[in-house]
Amino acid sequence: MDKRFIPAGVSRCSTAKFLLWLAPWAVLLLFGLYSAGLCLVKGLNQTHMNNRFAFGLWIFLDLTVIALGAGAFFTGFLLYVLKRKELRAVINSAVAIGLMCYGGAMAVLGVDVGQPLRAWFTFWYPNVHSMLTEVTFCISCYLTVLLIEYVPIVLKNRKLRQVPHFLVFEHELHKLVYVFAGVGTFLSFFHQGSLGGLYGVLRGRPFAFREELGIWPSTFFLFILSAAAVGPCFILLTTWLVQKLARKPLVRPQVLQSLGRISGLLLAAYVLLKTVDTLVWLNRTTPRSGFLPAQYYAWKPFGVWILFAEMALFLVPTIVLLIPWLRARTGWLVSAAAMACCGVAVNRFVLTIQTLALPTLSFDRFLQYLPSWQETGTFLAVVAAAVLVYSISFRYFVLFPEERELRTAPRRAPESEPVLAGGK
Amino acid sequence: MLPWNYGFHWSVGTAVFLGAFYTVLVIVVTTVIAAAVRSRRALRAGDADDVRWRSDFHDLPARDRACRHELTGEAEQRDCPNGFDCRKCDAHAKFLERRTPPASGDKTYEGFGMTFPLDRMYHRGHTWVRRQRNGTVTIGLDDFARRLVGKPDSLDLPRKGERLRLHATAWRMRKRNVDLRVVSPVAGIVLETGGADSEWYLRVRPEQHDLRHLLEGFEVQPWVAREMERMQTALSAWGVTPDTGNGSADVAAIAADCPAPCWEAVCGAMFLRP
Amino acid sequence: MISEKKPGKICRYGMAIDIDKCTGCGACMIACAVENNVPPGNADATDLTGITWLRVFKVDNGEEYPAKQSVYFPMMCQQCGVETPCYLVCPQQAVDVDPATGVVGQMPERCLGCRYCMAACPYHARYFNWWDPKWPAGMEKTLNPNVAPRMRGVVEKCNFCHGRWHAARERAAEAGETEIIPGDYLPACAEACPAGAIRFGDLNDPASAPAKAANDPESFRLLVKLGTGPKVYYHSKREWARRIGDPSQAPAAKETSRG
Repeated sequence: MDKRFIPAGVSRCSTAKFLLWLAPWAVLLLFGLYSAGLCLVKGLNQTHMNNRFAFGLWIFLDLTVIALGAGAFFTGFLLYVLKRKELRAVINSAVAIGLMCYGGAMAVLGVDVGQPLRAWFTFWYPNVHSMLTEVTFCISCYLTVLLIEYVPIVLKNRKLRQVPHFLVFEHELHKLVYVFAGVGTFLSFFHQGSLGGLYGVLRGRPFAFREELGIWPSTFFLFILSAAAVGPCFILLTTWLVQKLARKPLVRPQVLQSLGRISGLLLAAYVLLKTVDTLVWLNRTTPRSGFLPAQYYAWKPFGVWILFAEMALFLVPTIVLLIPWLRARTGWLVSAAAMACCGVAVNRFVLTIQTLALPTLSFDRFLQYLPSWQETGTFLAVVAAAVLVYSISFRYFVLFPEERELRTAPRRAPESEPVLAGGK
Repeated sequence: MLPWNYGFHWSVGTAVFLGAFYTVLVIVVTTVIAAAVRSRRALRAGDADDVRWRSDFHDLPARDRACRHELTGEAEQRDCPNGFDCRKCDAHAKFLERRTPPASGDKTYEGFGMTFPLDRMYHRGHTWVRRQRNGTVTIGLDDFARRLVGKPDSLDLPRKGERLRLHATAWRMRKRNVDLRVVSPVAGIVLETGGADSEWYLRVRPEQHDLRHLLEGFEVQPWVAREMERMQTALSAWGVTPDTGNGSADVAAIAADCPAPCWEAVCGAMFLRP
Repeated sequence: MISEKKPGKICRYGMAIDIDKCTGCGACMIACAVENNVPPGNADATDLTGITWLRVFKVDNGEEYPAKQSVYFPMMCQQCGVETPCYLVCPQQAVDVDPATGVVGQMPERCLGCRYCMAACPYHARYFNWWDPKWPAGMEKTLNPNVAPRMRGVVEKCNFCHGRWHAARERAAEAGETEIIPGDYLPACAEACPAGAIRFGDLNDPASAPAKAANDPESFRLLVKLGTGPKVYYHSKREWARRIGDPSQAPAAKETSRG
């Protein structure tokens, strides 16, 4: 029925099956929109956040998805600026994922603030000292850039490109894509960093506070590095997942290997710098703030194990991704990528939730927080919307340009890599 | 945000921050506008067909973009960088210099059950071009395409006096409910139209007499062999394994046998319309 | 945003709170709420979602009977004078440090409700309007006309009763003075405290109670090592109580909140 819109040379399931796949996600989206609506209409008392836990599930998940969505800018940088040609196979998917991640984060932020209609105040009265101003500006600009990068993917749809205006406009946009890739890299560098800086500058929260390198706290650089390292991992993970769900190969295995290797190198750098940073933080910064490192981990359930868990979740993938024969095995590759993504989630969690849970005043209690169903529902709306938009994009647009060539065992295959998911 | 806002104060931080923001904004907006302006210009100049061809060519799998000199074995793996327009290509000129003049050979090439007269030149999109004495050229479909398509259900030919651009759509055919577009092998003005029943489809006065971008002579054989491979690749992508046991596949029979979406995909590949 | 006014006399308003004198009666909390139009708590509010610009805590020394001792600890915004955390982090400059008074003011009309300032404040002095403010019928008559009530979704905090500062300036202007008449500006909590535990003054004036407390070895401030420069000085003759300000040395005291 919608065959006219499906790209040439690839096969997709029947329309009925597709709608069946979309249905539960649509229901989840509706539920999530209802939750978000409750928060918007009745107020943020619908959440379990409070005056001590000013940031909760939403901010933690926002930070995580933005770190995971870094794959969009980094893949673009690697492809268009560093000319890593093999990544052409995943750039469209990466842009789509980036758009979902950043769009979702912005949507949740719109619900998270007490007065969403005043969002433009940040642009009108920016506070150049504040990291959050930098985040707001950069993320808004970057979302625009992502939308602009997504437009050509849409315009290349089989039916849409028959309109000469769309065809020519897409062609011209694509010729200038390196500009957007460069701008995207610049903006991403700053907003990933500023998200780290959000916590690093909190002098009132010694658990989060870090010393400055230049004008930025060390978390600025660590966040950039962790986002750049984990972005490719997330692309790897999602590509593998989509290949599994679609039951067909979408990229050559070398592409995943390449992503894994790049991630591994960056993760290695990150682990090293993070270790140095942690040692400085525990041994110098903390005593200077009048706190003791032991105080950070004296409260259940956030014992010292969480520090080691975070490091392990980064260290193990580093090792796996840097050893070629381990990396060559899909099981290890994908597990390592998943671990790295979890590592980044734990890192963001620790800085968001643990920071606020820990006492600052000597007579503070240790606080507990569990999100309410409205909070969870709102975030599930984002997940559902992402799946819906990605599914539609996968069906009607070319997210994986190599898919067509992989429909048969490639005749010119240089190495004998096992084709991932066989079949037509 | 802006200097005349209440409470705005100049400082290094403000200048750097707002400077960076406005610069980024200006770059992004300018780039989008530049793309839009160039698009309008391209459309006005009628470049839509050029863009279409470049876009289609770009989307072809790497294997299908193989340089003609790779086909003949004169070069190792080489992708065509010019959209099959060899006139622009420096490497093509060099290859031509290195060629020894061919032995005056056969008048036709016959292979795979098909006939390719060598008194004409061939385009990779399965059209042939034959020079006429009065300076015009005739254009037709080669044997491969004719067998693949069979007799078209309907034909949409250009009007007399219409201008054809190189690699634009020369004419359209309709068969098995599929719209097939044939890539024009030359640029020129249409003088006469023929049809599926005549010897040729179009008679054209070409804009240039330089037809170096078309295949001729000994190049035809390796090209046809490659096209058979491409067809088999396209077919096996749909799970159809043609019977090529004795080395002479009957294209017409294959075309008749394979299901409609498969046939559509094969035509798309053969006519260079991905 | 730095205020546009050209300051005349530069004051640095601070407080001196004697926690040995504080009886925990809570009159200061009530006076604060009444003065500043703090809405009554919603039925679903908890002690962590209610609004108390000034809040009295009870802190124990961690011992058991008979060595157990407690103090009552009134806490409000410390009006940080150095690297004011909330001022630095607000993305739309809704926090204003007044150079003439040193008071850290909040502009609820500009506040987006992002709550970043709340995360930044180590003293938990900032409160968010989780609900729409609602006054029961008749209670609106008790509202203070000099103070604007806030809307849902914005942050508010103690500002040393800035409305009273404005009123004092007006009275001084009417009296033909260029500066506030000394003693005419007093926040509601200092005025209401029956034990005289809360004293207010200008730290730049050596005769004021806070200025004297600043030099008193028996006085302390909270979390000094963070470098925020709080302007509220607490005083206690008891050594264990003085360690409340230093989290690494604090007695094993746990908060039992009151109010």
